[in-house]
Amino acid sequence: MKRLLPVLLIGVVGVLIALPWIAGPTLIQFAINALMLATLAQGWNIIGGFAGYASFGNSIFFGLGSYGVAIAMVQWNLPFGVGLAVGVVFSVVFALAMGVPVLRLRGHYFAIATLALSQVMSAIFSNLDIAGRNIGLVLPLLRSDTLFYELSLALLIVATLIVFWLSRSRFGFGLIAIRENEDAAQSMGVNTTRYKVLAFTLAGILSSLAGGIHAYWITFIDPNSAFDLSLNVKMIIMAVFGGPGSVLGPVIGAALLSGVSELLSSTLSSVASLFFGLVIVIAVILMPKGLTDCWLKFPVSRWHYFIHNIRQYRL
Amino acid sequence: MTTPILSLKNISKRFGGLLAVNGVHVDIMPGETVGLIGPNGAGKTTLVSLISGTLTPTTGDILFQGKNITALPAFERARLGIGRTFQIMKPFPGLSVLDNVAVGALYGTTTTNKSLSQARDEAMEWLRRMDLHLKAEQRADELGGPDRKRLELAKAMAMKPTLLLLDEVMAGLNLVEIDEVIDAIKVVRETGISILVIEHMMKVIQSLSDRLLVLHHGQQIMAGTPQEVLNDPRVIEAYLGKRRV
Ligand SMILES: Nc1ncnc2c1ncn2[C@@H]1O[C@H](COP(=O)(O)OP(=O)(O)O)[C@@H](O)[C@H]1O
Ligand SMILES: [Mg+2]
Repeated sequence: MKRLLPVLLIGVVGVLIALPWIAGPTLIQFAINALMLATLAQGWNIIGGFAGYASFGNSIFFGLGSYGVAIAMVQWNLPFGVGLAVGVVFSVVFALAMGVPVLRLRGHYFAIATLALSQVMSAIFSNLDIAGRNIGLVLPLLRSDTLFYELSLALLIVATLIVFWLSRSRFGFGLIAIRENEDAAQSMGVNTTRYKVLAFTLAGILSSLAGGIHAYWITFIDPNSAFDLSLNVKMIIMAVFGGPGSVLGPVIGAALLSGVSELLSSTLSSVASLFFGLVIVIAVILMPKGLTDCWLKFPVSRWHYFIHNIRQYRL
Repeated sequence: MTTPILSLKNISKRFGGLLAVNGVHVDIMPGETVGLIGPNGAGKTTLVSLISGTLTPTTGDILFQGKNITALPAFERARLGIGRTFQIMKPFPGLSVLDNVAVGALYGTTTTNKSLSQARDEAMEWLRRMDLHLKAEQRADELGGPDRKRLELAKAMAMKPTLLLLDEVMAGLNLVEIDEVIDAIKVVRETGISILVIEHMMKVIQSLSDRLLVLHHGQQIMAGTPQEVLNDPRVIEAYLGKRRV
């Protein structure tokens, strides 16, 4: 199983790279969206899954990346690649400036602060002339889903490789120590402030790149779509469902949940999405560490696995 | 004259209206084990937190190996060689026992970028010395009382500290378990590091300390050998007397 995994992964990546020449346009469009969500979930995994800081501010980076590309291309007539870099610069500046004060807060306070920041950023961009105020910006049209698909895939692969590196590096180990017990980590020599800000920045860069690609693909952004909180909720659900703190969990979670929600939204009514929400709640109760943990441990402890997890909630 | 490992110079800590630590002077010499006793609320844990950097003093200076560290954050003090355990144990609950200790080996006084497997090897070495190696793969929150204490010791020692602060490691243990953990602390002491040990049990304090300090209402009321201190009328009144009632 352990030896098979790399072979399997290379096979899957190969098929994914070849997909535009195999599948139809509808599937590719669905896949671009799913890849973007997987990248966002992977970015959230770094700050939320590894460092244990439940960020509602990752959609801010998505928005900054979107506006970076839009402003650079529309207002400054710069190429797309430069736009991506502009978005990354916005995000890094934001992460360094806001990360230090916000990451002092713990638990719910951190979540609420990032939530509030997201609203503030939306309000700021609604009043910026250069960002087209609340009307937004229309980007030049590039009709090449294949290009957007391959770009999104490349970004997800990079994001996953970064998380893979985290899972076996000193830095990643320090983040996990912060998640498990921040005071103990600090008194054992982990520079917690620096680590948290770096994790926030890294997550921000990935989300920002995803936002930049998405903006160019959709060709239109406004403050509501760029700083969309529901996007943040989606990435959390996907990362948590798949397995926060694991390497492949967020990708698997994003793939599965994107697929299911696509099926439900095309075939069924809004009652279906309620059902979908219920399934997620139950899944989180039964397997709080996500699918990957369940996959590894269910064969050993069978249904005791679920009983053990439910007990943890002290219901 | 050798420089002390640790010098507290007129250290005070105020919490609102309460002077939890009041003008304490302490020198701890290399290789020395100093016992710190005092009734509940005397300011012992606060003093440990001031030394480890979890709290900053209201007034006074802290010198570590002759260097003023009063303004340094906790993680930098850990890097210099100050390790501590917490009265309220703070394991990394979801990590394995081995990885708990590996955090100490990976960080602590380590300055180079050590690999994870190297850190785990060092961690395993300390688990062996603390007699915990058979439980290396268990989750830390599955450990029972004495094992938890040994884990705290292994975590702190994997940091390779030169000064170790032990805050009521024995709390909650029965007499047999206390003897086991005393043995574990003796293993730690044989490495030659300096130790500041806080304990209520006189048996523990007497079997471990070279010297005793007594804290009462944040003030250091007495210092000396265990014999001198435990027979002093002020100590008996402030501390032992009350406990015998
Ligand atoms: N963070 C804090 N804020 C306010 N008061 C505190 C704090 N920590 C300790 N104290 C108070 O300081 C005094 C000394 O506490 P502590 O150092 O824990 O005593 P000990 O460890 O000797 O039992 C107590 O009265 C305690 O209530
Ligand atoms: Mg105490």
